[in-house]
Amino acid sequence: MKKSDRVFSIICIGLSLWLILESLKYDFLEKYTPGPGFMPFWLGVVLLIFSIALLIETFVKKNGKEVKKRLLPPRHSLYRLGLIMLITAGFSLVMNFLGFTLSVILYVPVILFFMEGINITKSVIAGLAFGVCIFLIFQYWMEVNLPTGFWGF
Amino acid sequence: MQGFVATITPFNLWMATLGCFFGTIVGILPGLGPSATIAILLPLTFEMDATPAMIMMTCIYYGAKYAGSTTSILINLPGEGASVVTTFDGYQMARQGRAGSALGISAIGSFIGGIMGTFGLIFIAVPLAKFSLKFGPAEYFSLILMGMLTIIFVGGKSIKKSIMSGLIGLGLGVVGADIVEGAPRFVYGIAELRDGISFILIVMGVFGVGEVLVSAEERMKTESIKVKFKDLWPTIDDVLVSKWAILRGTVVGFFVGALPGAGTTIASFISYGIEKGVAKDPERFGKGAIEGVAGPETANNSATSGAMVPLLALGIPGSGATAVMLGALMMYGLKPGPMLFATSPDFVWALIASMFIGNVILVIMNLPMVPIFASALRIPYSYMYPAIMLICIIGAFSLNMSVIDVGIMLLFGVFGYFMKKFDIPGAPMVIALVLGPMLEYSLYQALALSYGDVTTFITRPISGTLLGITAIMTVAVCFKMVRMKRAMIEEDDN
Repeated sequence: MKKSDRVFSIICIGLSLWLILESLKYDFLEKYTPGPGFMPFWLGVVLLIFSIALLIETFVKKNGKEVKKRLLPPRHSLYRLGLIMLITAGFSLVMNFLGFTLSVILYVPVILFFMEGINITKSVIAGLAFGVCIFLIFQYWMEVNLPTGFWGF
Repeated sequence: MQGFVATITPFNLWMATLGCFFGTIVGILPGLGPSATIAILLPLTFEMDATPAMIMMTCIYYGAKYAGSTTSILINLPGEGASVVTTFDGYQMARQGRAGSALGISAIGSFIGGIMGTFGLIFIAVPLAKFSLKFGPAEYFSLILMGMLTIIFVGGKSIKKSIMSGLIGLGLGVVGADIVEGAPRFVYGIAELRDGISFILIVMGVFGVGEVLVSAEERMKTESIKVKFKDLWPTIDDVLVSKWAILRGTVVGFFVGALPGAGTTIASFISYGIEKGVAKDPERFGKGAIEGVAGPETANNSATSGAMVPLLALGIPGSGATAVMLGALMMYGLKPGPMLFATSPDFVWALIASMFIGNVILVIMNLPMVPIFASALRIPYSYMYPAIMLICIIGAFSLNMSVIDVGIMLLFGVFGYFMKKFDIPGAPMVIALVLGPMLEYSLYQALALSYGDVTTFITRPISGTLLGITAIMTVAVCFKMVRMKRAMIEEDDN
């Protein structure tokens, strides 16, 4: 886990420096009380200390029992995850136009067919089932305000 | 007895059942918490009497606490804040084929915590509420600090990474308008960030979407957990192993819940910390220790009863949901406080009786339905994860009807994925996010009241005691870390 700890500690060093610098834009102390800059400043300082400590720890020689692990997943996994997030983000963007229910009816078959390799018929049936269930439970019964689009549902 | 008689009318029982059912649903669904549900249903109760309306709201509150553990255990997605800690061991138990045991012991613990907590409410309400009024901002600061450090020290393999995770959570908590000047901090002109980043979005992202991404990366060969029906109940051994955790959870939960503002989330985390601390083999925790489910779930429900103590006795809400209930009571012309027991005793005792009845309804609803909940794990994960994503999106969107919130949740999903890959515990971040603003506010208030005198945290007896416990705990942990380091160095030399 040394590589991942190293990356994490470097990210946190950057984050802590950013916190410290940004907190200087605000008042540090008021007359009797901490100002808006107080908390983020000290957060940044403490985070910086622990980040440096973790970074140093990754360079200290440890015993040979440490399991070497990939920093990032294999390329095909990253590609797959990226696609799932892209499809989901796309769903979030179109749901205001198409309506939530119709978007679900499209979203589920796309995920099941393209990402999971499930038969197209099963995927479409699942999409319709998901759409109907979500409409009945959330929009009809619980009256949760979900986007309706120009279809009205 | 008059309270029970007033409660056992067909309409009141129907309202109690409806409240339990709605509470169970919203407890399972992330995003729609009991506070929001009570607020949504409140206008529908205006034409009713106060008694059935409050019975329903109280049962919604209880139902959400019972059911919040269901998704924590089955899919590692907490239904509401106080069930976050149940994911640590409950989900691991489900992965080991012990979902039924986890769900069952959660229901049993919740029932015992709820019933015993209600007894506590009856016998301790007035004197305890008076004592908790002695807690000022300095005491809250010390209590919150102790709670946060407890979680950091007992959660995760690496204390450094746990602390860093907690600090990131505190950092996320400072986003938004600050409590001193109302100045927007780290907002950068984004209107949706002015009120801060919602804890619900982060939990759904890190625990829901993040888990989905981790599972999706593993190519999802639809490895659903096989559970036999005969294994779908907790064994006698499970119950016996959990008995002390349930007892401790009842006591801890009730007293923490009674503190105004402390809430069920703090109670569940403190209970978890205690269970891990007293265990002979604490390394079991996080890997499916049943005490890690029994204690917090009991504390969660006991705290729910405890939260009613300051509400009814002093008119001070003990949690967000009780704050909404306070508003409802005032709309009905009832003034919560010490006089409520004198001017409207029928209402008070009917409400307390409904808490007993609600717990019975919920354990009847939950225990027999454990096989149904557990059998949901047989559904291939390929179908489950789009459903989880959609539930999270519904929850995120329904907060403010904003697609931006959905985007924030998805971003935290990616963040949660990398946290899991880098072995960074998520719990300290979440608890710090929830407690951070309260910590800062308490600090601000305490120093304002003491005209900037920082010794107020030590000179006030209760605050000083809590800080003393925190200091002892910190020294003990540092001592343990040094010993572990020395042992590692000796092993290297050998």
